[in-house]
Amino acid sequence: MGIREKVKKILIVDDDIDLLEQNKLLLENKGFNVLTCESGEEAWMLYQNENPDAVVADLIMEHHDSGFVLCHKIKKTEHGKVIPVFILTSATYDTGFKFSASTFEERDWINCDAILNKPVSVEEIIKKLEKYFSI
Amino acid sequence: MENINPKILVVDDEKGLRLGTQRLLENEGYFADTAENGTEGIVKALSEDFDIVIIDLRMPDIEGIEVLKKIKENKPNTVCFIATAYASYETAVESTRIGAYGYIPKPFTPEELIYQVEKAFTHRKLLLETERLTREKEERLLEIASEKSRLNTIIKSLKSGVLVINLTGETAYFNSSVLQLLNINELNLGEYVLDKLPNKINEMVKKYLKLEEDIHKSYSVQIEIYPGELYIDAYCSPVPNPDNSLAGVVVIIRNITEYKRIELVKNQFVSMVAHELKTPVAAVLGFLKIILDPNLNVSEEKKTDFLIRSSHRLEDLLHMVNDLLDISRLELKNKEKELIEVNLLDCINNVIEFLHNEAEKRNININFENNIKDPVITANPSEISRILTNILSNAIKYNKESGNVTINLGINSNYYFIKIADTGIGLRPAEKEKLFQEFYRVKSEKTRGISGTGLGLSIVKRLVESYAGKIEVESEIDIGTAFTIFLPIN
Repeated sequence: MGIREKVKKILIVDDDIDLLEQNKLLLENKGFNVLTCESGEEAWMLYQNENPDAVVADLIMEHHDSGFVLCHKIKKTEHGKVIPVFILTSATYDTGFKFSASTFEERDWINCDAILNKPVSVEEIIKKLEKYFSI
Repeated sequence: MENINPKILVVDDEKGLRLGTQRLLENEGYFADTAENGTEGIVKALSEDFDIVIIDLRMPDIEGIEVLKKIKENKPNTVCFIATAYASYETAVESTRIGAYGYIPKPFTPEELIYQVEKAFTHRKLLLETERLTREKEERLLEIASEKSRLNTIIKSLKSGVLVINLTGETAYFNSSVLQLLNINELNLGEYVLDKLPNKINEMVKKYLKLEEDIHKSYSVQIEIYPGELYIDAYCSPVPNPDNSLAGVVVIIRNITEYKRIELVKNQFVSMVAHELKTPVAAVLGFLKIILDPNLNVSEEKKTDFLIRSSHRLEDLLHMVNDLLDISRLELKNKEKELIEVNLLDCINNVIEFLHNEAEKRNININFENNIKDPVITANPSEISRILTNILSNAIKYNKESGNVTINLGINSNYYFIKIADTGIGLRPAEKEKLFQEFYRVKSEKTRGISGTGLGLSIVKRLVESYAGKIEVESEIDIGTAFTIFLPIN
């Protein structure tokens, strides 16, 4: 991150408090301002109040699609359209549930900027974030 | 003579000749009977089974030819002679045409008669043997026909499809299951069938027909006919001729939809398990990396906190592995359980004792109300304890601080029931529905920090059901939850 730039505010959402705290610590160490919360609903409130520069949300929280629902709501807002929203999931297995957007309707509905596999390294998140912030 | 007393009937209106012939035959060891006219002759010949009948040609009531006709019509295997003094070429021809074996001109000498009778009896034996063989053959043919129709019925009623294809790719045989399992609308015998078959079967059959495949090998292939709805297994075997050349190919088609469904459920379960195991491992690994990273400025206090939390995650992980092992044990259908008499009262008291410390930590009061004596069931005591421990520990964990747990033991028709009610956070209707699913855990602000594997209730349900029991749950959000376990009274 350039020194002249304003410190970026990242909202991370995960119902696993250990992973949440680890990511917070690591992102803060990289110079981000990190907001955390543990549910999609909470995240939605926080998002509206804080207007973060990026959102990284776990997929399965209070509901199996909490991450998608949150992303959908965010992307409906004006601010949401210009910031990256990443979904984290370890449920990328292809049996049973579907976690990828393959049809237009699905892509339209789940228009997050990336779906990342858990456990995700913080370096990977940072690389993705910097790509967005540098544009 | 081989047979003792061959039976002979002498039909003659001339008494002297009749009785003389009878005596003569009896002296030779034959059984001889007589009839004094044609009518009596017919009655006797038809009602009894004579080997030989000697018929006088001229009788006052009926002509000998008519008698012969009647007998031959009804008993074709009776050997008949025509005897007459009025021998003529015409009557001889006529009588043999109707079926007489021979012609005895009167008067005859005893030697002539015996010679003719012996010859006739040999003929009679041949006739009887022929009749026996004919009957046997007919019976065999009938047997084969019924065997064939039985086999046919069996194959037709098979749920599996049976399709026999000849060397030119035409149907030689099929049952109706073939149509259903391969989703073919119409199929006729002798019709070229290869184009109607799914590609994979078509290819396999063609390989045999082109003799590219060893005719002593069989192959099977699994095919999806309707995605998600109908899966089949097609087993192709060559049908060899007696000389080992290829006669055709038989395809046996089985419906394996249910098997595939179970496989899918199993795969989903394995994926879920992998996911559930991965999360705590990732958390611990994350903590360790942070602790070990020299570039991160983490206080000693924080590091200790991370280590404690890691150790909690690993403990939970261990619990989960144990629960999974329990589930897998429960899935083994032919497991042998050691069943003894278990007193539910003792069991409940032991479990309360076991969880006493847990309850005390949260200042939870456990009341146990019981009004039955010696509630004994035949069960595995550790399984019953497991059921009660899982439910009671949930009642403690998900209770309010300083809450109550009430346990009731009683009888409800054919069941003992154990009701464990808490004054805890309660469940929403949607949460209640998913409660017994593997890995389902209620997630909310209030359940934060409560550890668990998400398998406890799933195990309880499996255990209770293994005793032909049932489990019911009532709950109201913020008021509390009550689980009632019903176990059949032996």
